Amino acid sequence: MLRVMLVCSAGMSTSLLVTKMKDAAVKNGIDIEIVAVAEVEVKENIERADVVLLAPQVRFLFNKLKQELEPRGIPLAVIDGMNYGLMKGDAVVKQALELTVSTK
Amino acid sequence: MKRFLEFMERYFVPVAGRIGSQRHLVAVRDGFVSIMPLILAGSVAVLLNNTLFKWVPALGILTGINGNVWWGTFAIMTLVVVFSTGYNLAKSYSVDALAAGLISVASFITITPQAHGEAGWGYIHWGYLNATGLFTGIIVALIATEIFVKLMKKKLTIKMPDNVPPAVGRAFAAVIPGIAALYLFGIVGHIITNAGANSLYDIIYNLIQKPLQGFSQGLGSAIILAVFLNVFWFFGLHGGNIFDPIVNSLYLPALEANASAVQQGVAAANIVTKSFYDSFVHIGGCGATLALILAIYIAARKRDEYKQVAKLSAPAGLFNINEPMMFGLPIILNPILLIPFILVPGILTFIAYIATASGLVPMTYVQIPWITPVGISGFLATGGNIMGGLLSIINFAVAVLIYLPFVKLADNMAAESGASSYETGKKSVSKSV
Repeated sequence: MLRVMLVCSAGMSTSLLVTKMKDAAVKNGIDIEIVAVAEVEVKENIERADVVLLAPQVRFLFNKLKQELEPRGIPLAVIDGMNYGLMKGDAVVKQALELTVSTK
Repeated sequence: MKRFLEFMERYFVPVAGRIGSQRHLVAVRDGFVSIMPLILAGSVAVLLNNTLFKWVPALGILTGINGNVWWGTFAIMTLVVVFSTGYNLAKSYSVDALAAGLISVASFITITPQAHGEAGWGYIHWGYLNATGLFTGIIVALIATEIFVKLMKKKLTIKMPDNVPPAVGRAFAAVIPGIAALYLFGIVGHIITNAGANSLYDIIYNLIQKPLQGFSQGLGSAIILAVFLNVFWFFGLHGGNIFDPIVNSLYLPALEANASAVQQGVAAANIVTKSFYDSFVHIGGCGATLALILAIYIAARKRDEYKQVAKLSAPAGLFNINEPMMFGLPIILNPILLIPFILVPGILTFIAYIATASGLVPMTYVQIPWITPVGISGFLATGGNIMGGLLSIINFAVAVLIYLPFVKLADNMAAESGASSYETGKKSVSKSV
């Protein structure tokens, strides 16, 4: 089971994406757990994530989060703007999967 | 245009990023985020007393209950911000956050005057603890926590033998750093009183907070802030997130001052507040993008991808979430939409400012959740005033009118050029939605 954490400013807009991603995962038979959190909540929930994806509007947090995630071996990436805006669940699930493969 | 965008992406975006992740600003912002439930509770209390409890005289005897809730939230706002700012700053350093929060509060009280007017010694006046003390509180919390964190990291702590329980050991570890922070403020307070000044609060309030707040209430600065948010968004950066430390430390106190004035039955004085922006300017999110959605429904004929994104974004847009519009349409780096996207917040702020200043619409004094839909937002923010609701709907209509010609323009361009490379890229994306 892959656990994905999505991060944005308030955890609102990413929570829209969560539903779309879950649909895409079910369709493709992928075992995945997805949570959306606000930037403030990242630290508390860090244990619950295998991979972290950053919403594009808070991409400026990349370096800061990387410092925290790298020692734990948790991969981090920014979600593509177009995929994010159009809420393309399948593309983002794919990004999460690729990210875990490439780091392992 | 392309060169300009590349230049901005290279130089402006990283700077914005640094501001958005600057440790102390983030601590202040998160400090405010943590107390939001209290602000909302205080807002409900003031709102109830001035609407339902006023309209139904039989409920009048219960106003004291709301008064109590206001006392525990708005009236002591700085006290809780001091704790949560210290807490969040220490947390970002991964140092004992609870201890830092407690030491911040203690440091703040340390420099707070111990007497007030004719009440004599032993009274803390609530005027030091409500939002007027906010700047002092934040500065004290940041300094106290910095000292605490630095000394903790330097291991200037008392070490306990291994067989002492960890909780006890932790408490002792914080002793020397805590004493250092408290004594610093004790000494500073002593120097200030002996120098003849009243308190650190008076100095900071008169030299920093008051001028800044006066400046922030001007029409010009209100417009500039609104426009700036959208400039950040145009580059795909969460302007709200980056500006929150500023907005919260200037426009949340303005709102609190209004709420406290209304609570005490005097006229509110601050035109621009956090709720002012949320209900009259950010309609459907930054840039009043809900209006853009409607404009697309009205005017877009040939651009299927516009219609699709508008349809997809409408439900979230009603609740002021507009990332689908920002990144999907996209508005970001879209040269045609840049003009209305920058114009709209400026013009809406201008209209709302004039309407409020002229007394047509009452001052906003209720903190509304930012997801409150258009119309309801203005109605609630002005304490259940129909004019407030009207203003937010009128502003919405104005924004639609501003967006319309540009949506038409984009539509015509798509028709004329058939499909540019940019267009084809967009179309293939929209098909797969």
